[in-house]
Amino acid sequence: MKGILLIAAVAFGVGGAAQAQQPQQFSNAKIDVIVKATTSQYWATVFDGARKAAQVLGVQIATLGAPSELDAAQEVSIMENAISAHPTGIVIAATNAQALAQPIAEATKAGIPVVVIDSDANTKDYVTFLATNNETGGKKAADEIARCVQARTGKEAGNVAYLTALAGAQSLNDRDKGFVEELKKHPGLKIVEHRVGNNQPSRALSDSEDLLTRHPDLVGMFADNELEGDGAGTAVSEKGLANKMCLVAFDTSDTEIKFVKSGIIDGLIVQNPYMMGYAGVWYALAAAHGVAFPKYVDTGVNVVTKDNIGSPQMAGLLDPSKYVLTPFLGEQ
Amino acid sequence: MSERTLPIDAEESRTSFLTELQHRLPLETYVLALTVLLWITLGVVSPYFWTEGNVTNILRQVSIDAILAFGSLFPIILAGIDLSVGSVAGLSGVVFSMLVADGDVSLVPALAATLAMGVAIGVINGWAIDRLGIPPFIVTLAGLQGYRGLALLLSGGMTISGMPAGLQSFSLSSVAHIPTLFLLMAAIGFCAHFLLAYTRLGRYMYAIGSNAEAARRVGIRVIHVTTIAYALAALFATISGLLLVARLSMGSPTAATGSELEAIAAAVVGGASLFGGRGTILGCFIGALLFTTLGNGANLLGINSFWQMVIEGLLIAFVVYFDNVQKRRQAGIR
Repeated sequence: MKGILLIAAVAFGVGGAAQAQQPQQFSNAKIDVIVKATTSQYWATVFDGARKAAQVLGVQIATLGAPSELDAAQEVSIMENAISAHPTGIVIAATNAQALAQPIAEATKAGIPVVVIDSDANTKDYVTFLATNNETGGKKAADEIARCVQARTGKEAGNVAYLTALAGAQSLNDRDKGFVEELKKHPGLKIVEHRVGNNQPSRALSDSEDLLTRHPDLVGMFADNELEGDGAGTAVSEKGLANKMCLVAFDTSDTEIKFVKSGIIDGLIVQNPYMMGYAGVWYALAAAHGVAFPKYVDTGVNVVTKDNIGSPQMAGLLDPSKYVLTPFLGEQ
Repeated sequence: MSERTLPIDAEESRTSFLTELQHRLPLETYVLALTVLLWITLGVVSPYFWTEGNVTNILRQVSIDAILAFGSLFPIILAGIDLSVGSVAGLSGVVFSMLVADGDVSLVPALAATLAMGVAIGVINGWAIDRLGIPPFIVTLAGLQGYRGLALLLSGGMTISGMPAGLQSFSLSSVAHIPTLFLLMAAIGFCAHFLLAYTRLGRYMYAIGSNAEAARRVGIRVIHVTTIAYALAALFATISGLLLVARLSMGSPTAATGSELEAIAAAVVGGASLFGGRGTILGCFIGALLFTTLGNGANLLGINSFWQMVIEGLLIAFVVYFDNVQKRRQAGIR
């Protein structure tokens, strides 16, 4: 019970005050944080948040993951190894909903609390699912394209295309679904094309170039992750279409941020990976001490544009080193 | 036909020459015909195909792939293979972009250092294959894994941005409406073609690929030739890695993942034989152009991305089958 109180005190207290009295009880606790790919800024931000939580809570964490998001098999092995090592808790983002379902259920059966972040698995045997509502993100992307087209041409009409970074990823499917559904509310905007890439910016670049060639009348484009956004932005910039094309992309790479500042990307749909890492670690620790959580916690999405990119709230989302933790977790 | 051929009946010689020619047209001629046919068809079906913008796109898109394919041709001619070229391209991109990011090192020394690293990797590959006697497939499979790992390790798995602006404008520039990237690829291709077709070293490569033991017995220093072939493969991979950085204005540790197979496919479709002794630079270019055209066409016609992969697979199988039929027929004639 004392443990729970301490976690609560740390979690809800201001970071600085908590650090002053390093809670020694947890120094033996070890939490494994397993992400989908160690090669993207997004997951590095999850790790940043997790490290911050580890520092505040005084626990050990291990940051793990396969180099490529395509590699579900490797994530399964990482998870199996983690189960054998029996950490205090596991925080995991499932690369493939089906492949990771069984290992996650096994970890729970072995008495290791599992907090799933970002991408869900086809099981309910975990503590909680802490994620962006990707469908909402896709909807915001559709609304942002509509707003941008309206502002640029004076009417909400024209052809739109969207680019999926990778086939078979639940979070991307949800974004696309939200995007397609919400765009129906803007009847003037019509989806004329959909391309699926291989999660490589070079492929995204040639796909977007060809797309812009085939549909010279395109007014809007949606790229559903950062690598796709990098490629699509490069194509728009190469073709000099920044003023004509309303490009909206997901996530925040350095290249994407540069594109927002130079007006090539009109809107970035920004998740809160820092909070997934931060809250993931402390939820896992709390669950190990018997705290129950709701099955789903939404970490929220924001739209970053050229106009609000300088605001302090967005600055923390774009650059984790500037992240200021609010006293109450989950509050945006 | 050399001058020492005995004089034979003129009529007979002419017919046999024609049949010979018909059956001996190199595979790449047919692949080129197929590519041209594809260009014409796409031109008819899509109003956007023959626009300057699209042709420029194709020329730019083919350049980097073709350079990688040129490089992978040298080991293939030696009846070897280099599976590490994609990883070497990725690693060089990471090393180069880490050096030049935020103006840490100026361009020329960074380029020189990266190219030197590429050559060193190739020399190690060639040495391990010939001196240690490890099969090329294994040596370069180790490289495929190891160099990719090194790229991930050095970059911490992150993309590296902050490239000098000049790099991207270089990759977008054109000389007389032809993309500079394409001209660079053509120049590199010309040098490689010259080396293979007109130098002793080139002829030694074909000789080793046809029969390594015979080549050894006539006194060819097989280890030197092997080392040079793998060094060239790695050098070309490094160049394409550098161009990829310029094109995207960032270094990505996963760049060119799987490209080694695309490069080998381009070489094989362009007439190279995995059993060695056969293959040309022009063929590689034609193979790469065919795959680029397929990708471009699929995008322009809105063909499902997954069908595109299936079509590419069928194409590789068909071309190699066709080549085999040709060769069997040729053998039957003699």
